[in-house]
Amino acid sequence: MIESPPTGLAAEINPAIRGMMRAARDMLQHEHSLLGSLGFKPLLLGAGKTSFSLDLPARFGDGSGMIHGGFLTVVLDSLFGLTVFTAMEEFKPIATINLRTDYIKEAAAGSRVICDSVCEGVRNEVAYVSGRLTLDADKSLIAIASGAFMVGTKGPAKGSRL
Amino acid sequence: MSAPFEISRIAAHAASPMGEWLGFSGETDGESAVYKLAFSEEHIGNPMIRALHGGVIAAFLEFAMQADLAARLEAGAPISTATMAIDYLASSRAEDMRARVRIMRLGRRIAFLEATGWQADEAQPVAIGRASLRIG
Repeated sequence: MIESPPTGLAAEINPAIRGMMRAARDMLQHEHSLLGSLGFKPLLLGAGKTSFSLDLPARFGDGSGMIHGGFLTVVLDSLFGLTVFTAMEEFKPIATINLRTDYIKEAAAGSRVICDSVCEGVRNEVAYVSGRLTLDADKSLIAIASGAFMVGTKGPAKGSRL
Repeated sequence: MSAPFEISRIAAHAASPMGEWLGFSGETDGESAVYKLAFSEEHIGNPMIRALHGGVIAAFLEFAMQADLAARLEAGAPISTATMAIDYLASSRAEDMRARVRIMRLGRRIAFLEATGWQADEAQPVAIGRASLRIG
């Protein structure tokens, strides 16, 4: 499903980035944040390539027992950002420039999904990520998505993110 | 299938679990509707950056487009999103967001919509979303 990491990227996550990701994980586990509450489980963490599993919480339902597509975008945006970090040589803040999602199939509340994503490349400080969400039970496709991320943003405190 | 715009038809939408999680509501403002995301701490992605999670902004704009289409169709018409795309124009703050929706084309089976989301100033949007929504 997911090809090997793009050429030009180290197969292993850079140690500095790995330390940063561990700190981020610890922080998220101790803060009552949205991401901390979702319970992402890493299945694979490589340079520019990640895979996570997640049980879809009922509180993001659309009223018919299925999960609202907007929540899948929350998942994709979070994990795509993480995948950009795994591809970096040193820590830099990032910001989503754009994201596009095609919804192939609905997913029921409570079902377990797998999110695979790949950082396809970085050019002029823009990182391009693509990925897919599949249902763990039967490996059927739920959504495909792609996004672009600005690498090395100044952060919101200084005004523009881009 | 289309019907006169009726804001009350977004009620079922807003009452869904996702609608409640977003704190979603809408009201007419002269000629068009203004939709609102009522800020909650759970909408923050990274606690170190006091901003709305980008995915939450996308979910709100998609929700607003679905609601706006529902308000233009006969009650109970099934709507689902085929494709959703979003551009993030500026950083957001940890506060309410509002959105206005434009229908680019309302076809028999597919509707094309655009939603603009802002916080402090409507003239300085935070994000623009576009969706192709399937009717039926």
